[in-house]
Amino acid sequence: MLEIKNYSKSYAEGKKAADDVTLTVESGDIYGFIGHNGAGKSTTIRAVVGVLDFTEGEIYIDGHSVKDEPLECKKITAYIPDNPDLYENLTGIQYLNFVADVFDISAKDREERIKKYADTFEITDSLGDLISSYSHGMKQKVAIISALIHNPKLLVLDEPFVGLDPKATFTLKEIMHEMCKQGTAIFFSTHVLDVAEKLCNKVAIIKKGKIIASGTMEELTVGQSLEEAFLEVANEE
Amino acid sequence: MKSNIILLRTMLKSTSLVNIYRYTTDKKKKKKVVAGFIGIIILYAMLMGYSLSMCIGYGKLGIIDATPVMCAFIISAMSFLFTFFKTNGYLFNFKEYDMLMSLPFEARTVAGCKFAYMYIKSLGWYISISLAMLIGYGYYKRPSVLVYPVWIVMSLFIPVIPMLLASLVGFIIAKISAGFRKTNLIQTIFSFVFVIFCFSLRYIIDAVVKSDKVDDILKTVSVATDSAAQVYLPAAWFSGAVTKLVLSDMLQLVGFSILLFSCVFYVVGKSYRQINSALKSHVASKDYKMTAQKKHSVLNAIAFKEFKRMTGSTIYMTNGCMGEVLAVILGVVTLVVGFDKIVKVVTQGAPFDASIIQPAIPFVVYFMIGMVSTTAFTPSLEGKNYWIMQSLPLENKTIYQGKMLFNMYLTVPFMSFGILCLSISAKVPVVNTIFYLVLGVALCAFSTTWGCVCGVKHMRLDWENEVEVIKQGAAVAIYMFPNMFVVMGLVVLVVFLGMKIDHKLLTIIMTFIAAGLSSLCYLRVMALAKKRS
Repeated sequence: MLEIKNYSKSYAEGKKAADDVTLTVESGDIYGFIGHNGAGKSTTIRAVVGVLDFTEGEIYIDGHSVKDEPLECKKITAYIPDNPDLYENLTGIQYLNFVADVFDISAKDREERIKKYADTFEITDSLGDLISSYSHGMKQKVAIISALIHNPKLLVLDEPFVGLDPKATFTLKEIMHEMCKQGTAIFFSTHVLDVAEKLCNKVAIIKKGKIIASGTMEELTVGQSLEEAFLEVANEE
Repeated sequence: MKSNIILLRTMLKSTSLVNIYRYTTDKKKKKKVVAGFIGIIILYAMLMGYSLSMCIGYGKLGIIDATPVMCAFIISAMSFLFTFFKTNGYLFNFKEYDMLMSLPFEARTVAGCKFAYMYIKSLGWYISISLAMLIGYGYYKRPSVLVYPVWIVMSLFIPVIPMLLASLVGFIIAKISAGFRKTNLIQTIFSFVFVIFCFSLRYIIDAVVKSDKVDDILKTVSVATDSAAQVYLPAAWFSGAVTKLVLSDMLQLVGFSILLFSCVFYVVGKSYRQINSALKSHVASKDYKMTAQKKHSVLNAIAFKEFKRMTGSTIYMTNGCMGEVLAVILGVVTLVVGFDKIVKVVTQGAPFDASIIQPAIPFVVYFMIGMVSTTAFTPSLEGKNYWIMQSLPLENKTIYQGKMLFNMYLTVPFMSFGILCLSISAKVPVVNTIFYLVLGVALCAFSTTWGCVCGVKHMRLDWENEVEVIKQGAAVAIYMFPNMFVVMGLVVLVVFLGMKIDHKLLTIIMTFIAAGLSSLCYLRVMALAKKRS
């Protein structure tokens, strides 16, 4: 579903934020992308979702090139940034309707899905309020609902659990499992290694822009926890 | 087309006062929305009054025929400059870029909608000017009934071409800057160079075509506007459309606007992602070595924070420092060319004793320096970072004092430089120059404190884009318009009084007035600080 081939991102300073990144996320995978702060996780994720321009390498989503067919890619992808910048002066429901309009979701379907996810995240009562009045966690919940509203084939999340309360974190994990069973590919970055270990079937570790280890969870954590494996690999490099 | 409408509608809704008023449960916010709305209406009314009085002047002078071209020129110049300063922040480098670009929109759709949004949001200003001038024109000229609807409809198209040209220039600057390491700095420098070029264009043309009897051409306003319209065709098209109801002129204005829109956004769309990636991406250098650190006073620490905030934002720099840059240029040009010659150029060679303008020197420099006061927008600029200052053990008055101190640091050196250059060139006696410098400092203090009153009183933290508070915030507008009109009036008053009383005495009186007003404003800031704590 997602194929990143030799992707590199250089800045005007000549420094490489991502260096020859190659990985593949299949349908039904929950793929964790872990690394230190500034390792290149967000840079890679932003390129995958078509926000960041890049010149080296190729990124394909369901066979479509992010460079050449960005619209085709975005139609089947959903992105949840680490710090969602939503339209603050819209109400929650206005924002969700905006996203539903963009994806051309029928009135019946959007009503059904918004209700389902808003109830699950216990935010239905607040949907009529301005987003500016929401807490960080509530904004994150609206961003998550907006990402799920069009049943994406690829879900890309950048630090999705930051700011969520324990119940919402649990709910999101449940939703991720459910989507994964339905064939959605999930690619997400996180610092929380415990979560990654329990949630993911595949992991890639990135350091200074380079993938230093990748594979199934079993391959990476032979007889040790993901935290131990991560520290071992990160210190080695 | 459908996605354009969805996006544009949402952009407008997301900043609409009606939407905020309707859905907010915060009563204070509701009151603020109403006050903001009333403030905008007052500003529109002021602009209409100014435009109407200009038309009445034309009517009295018998040059009412020049009104349509003048209307087109004023709107075009305003829309060009306003748009140019807004491109970085509205068209590029805006906050919700990631959210929008991750949705299935083409890059040119996002850019086009951002432009349309800018256009619709600023249309009120241009329509205010146009309607007021139409009223004046209608009163004196008594044109056919058809002129009124044609004028109103065509007015909607006047700002489109200059706005597109400004966007294109902004795009070219952003595209060039994107290739540099210090993207923001390069963008700021290019922006300054371009605006300075625009301001000096009239004098460049004057100098280049001096031999073509420009002086003669400029003898009457109507002839001048006619000849200018021949250079700037949209003005001629507008004039032809509304005075002679020429269909081809209407079609040319509308058609060219649409064609230019398509071309500009085809080009912009091609590099949109690349430019925004460069403007929004900053890589950490990771080569910092711990060195000896210095201790600063609290006020200086706040002022330094403001300085870093300024240098980190192209919009802030180009808007906040434009007056200072212009003051330096004016000073240097006056020193090189000579005060008398500059006065001759400005007064179109009218027989004039340049020495009578001397008492106005501090006000002339202040006209530039005082155009913008950083204190009018820095309280709002805290935005989501508001918590940082509020959670520190600082009183509000200290925070505002720090912000005012920064504005003084920024304005006083440039004000002094400008006054010194003009005074030296005008051969002003040393004692008078010292008095002018003192008056300059007092005017800076007034600009700083009055700006801070507006900035604190109309503080707005929930902005989506810093352009909203730097360029078009209620605080900035309330600071700027009365300030500019009063300064223009004071220049005339000072020149008039300078002919009657001693220049030194006049400057002392003005200094006391400016200092008195500054003190009152300062006290008001302190009262507002207390009220907010």
